[in-house]
Amino acid sequence: MRRDTGTLSDVISEYPLLRAEALRIGYAGRALLPPLTFEVRVGEMWAIIGRNGSGKTTLLRTLLDLTPRVDGGLERLGVRGIGYVPQRLGLDLGVPMRCVDVVRGGLDRGWSFLDALRPLRARAQVEQALRETDTLAFAERQFVTLSEGQKQRVLMARALACEPGLLVLDEPTSAMDAVAEEAAFDLVERLQRARGLGVVVVAHHLAVLARRATHLVYLDADCGLVLAGPSGDVARHATFVEHYGHLFDPPGPHEAHGGHCDDHDHHGPTTEHPR
Amino acid sequence: MTPEPSRDFAAFLDAWELFRAPVIAGTIAGALVGLLGVYVVLRRMVFLAGALSQTAGLGVALAFFGRIRFGLEGLWGSPTLGAALATTTTALLLVGRRTQQGTQRDSLLGLAWLAGAAGTLIVGTRIVQEVQDIQAILFGSAVVVLDDDLVRVIGLALPLGLLHVWWQRGFVQAAFDADGARVRGLPVWLLDVTLIGSIALSISLCTRVLGALPVFAFSVLPAMAALRVCPNIERALVVAAAVGAACGAGGYYLAWRFDLPVGAAQTLLAVVFVAVAALVERALLRRVG
Repeated sequence: MRRDTGTLSDVISEYPLLRAEALRIGYAGRALLPPLTFEVRVGEMWAIIGRNGSGKTTLLRTLLDLTPRVDGGLERLGVRGIGYVPQRLGLDLGVPMRCVDVVRGGLDRGWSFLDALRPLRARAQVEQALRETDTLAFAERQFVTLSEGQKQRVLMARALACEPGLLVLDEPTSAMDAVAEEAAFDLVERLQRARGLGVVVVAHHLAVLARRATHLVYLDADCGLVLAGPSGDVARHATFVEHYGHLFDPPGPHEAHGGHCDDHDHHGPTTEHPR
Repeated sequence: MTPEPSRDFAAFLDAWELFRAPVIAGTIAGALVGLLGVYVVLRRMVFLAGALSQTAGLGVALAFFGRIRFGLEGLWGSPTLGAALATTTTALLLVGRRTQQGTQRDSLLGLAWLAGAAGTLIVGTRIVQEVQDIQAILFGSAVVVLDDDLVRVIGLALPLGLLHVWWQRGFVQAAFDADGARVRGLPVWLLDVTLIGSIALSISLCTRVLGALPVFAFSVLPAMAALRVCPNIERALVVAAAVGAACGAGGYYLAWRFDLPVGAAQTLLAVVFVAVAALVERALLRRVG
């Protein structure tokens, strides 16, 4: 609910960047999961989790308008647009490209590529993105020669170059070891605070997210179960606990309703969206 | 016995009026197709030139067949229109067809090549008289270029070259990071259609003016050389255009100097550029580390 008074940052933080309303995802008009409702706001980190084949990537691609939605509403409300960090750049690694070129490639939005002088005017933007991601030191190096962790930071700088309001990351740490993964999420958190971003991230390794994600979207195609809401609420759901244990919050008196996966088979698909 | 005429560079310049059109056409075509070749090579479409020639052949054969069998006249029986339609259809089929490794597009190129070749042969058995004309229409010669053809090459290269300089960032992003470009709202489909369309158009016209071999070479070899020595795509586009232009002009001079076939000389010069680029790349890598 919106407050009538408050600071500008309060108002901004309540303004949604992305709103999914009874959103159904799938392919060729066939829904994979029950409808899903949630809103992503400034300062929130939404983690999309679930086992392999649960529909995480389909949901992410639907949110990005890369895959058509089956039904329901989807609004991208942030005026600053979306910065997307893919699992890997759709680029053959044999292509010569310095890190600074990779970052510059993320500058354009819409038809801005028609402005021939934009790269010159946006030098500061590129430099800031490189600095914030600690990649300025190897800006002139070939992208292909970097470690996986460094590549991911460069891709984050690329996503930041167009100064987005929402940062969307698709399994950003899938090729990293535990130390690099921790560092990558530290960086995401730092950027989120510094730039006032909303974040949506698809991830497999929950331990590193447990301290960071403010909200979760849990997908379970086997049970036909979709949960979306504050991390604590979703993480207390019986099916979530059954699969992941008490990673996010110790079990307590507020344990979410819903029961086990088998229960849902009897009662049909369940969608919960606590917000 | 008459003495061998001098074949030095001064003699070449003295006879410039004779060589003007093919040298300028070769230079411009080399620059244009060389530049576009960077996309061709990086998007794994190196057999695009060959596939387009074959499908254009089928288009011309079908136009002749329509004239003979169905009495089509004027524009509808025009071999040029047949070639243009076949080429455009092939190019449009290739838009957006790719996997991470470009395998689907690669297969489609093979399909277009084979369907074009087989179709031309089959239709050719019904239009025996005109089969020779198909070759003449499709494949020009880099030795002799008519002024009209030179004007056509310039008329195509000038606007396309300017468009590619202006839209370069859009083309690069749509070509190499289509998902990221879509998320940021770039008109990826339009950029892709324009890019593939401009490549198809350039290759078709240049093949018709200069012949298949040099144009195939321009679409692959200058880009190969440039991508070995350039740190990014932007510079590779400039270097590939320069190498293509050098091969177009230099190949013609070498053909005249050593009495070689022009298309083959242009192609071999491009091969030399690739070899030199490989050596430079190796030296650069050694220096770096």
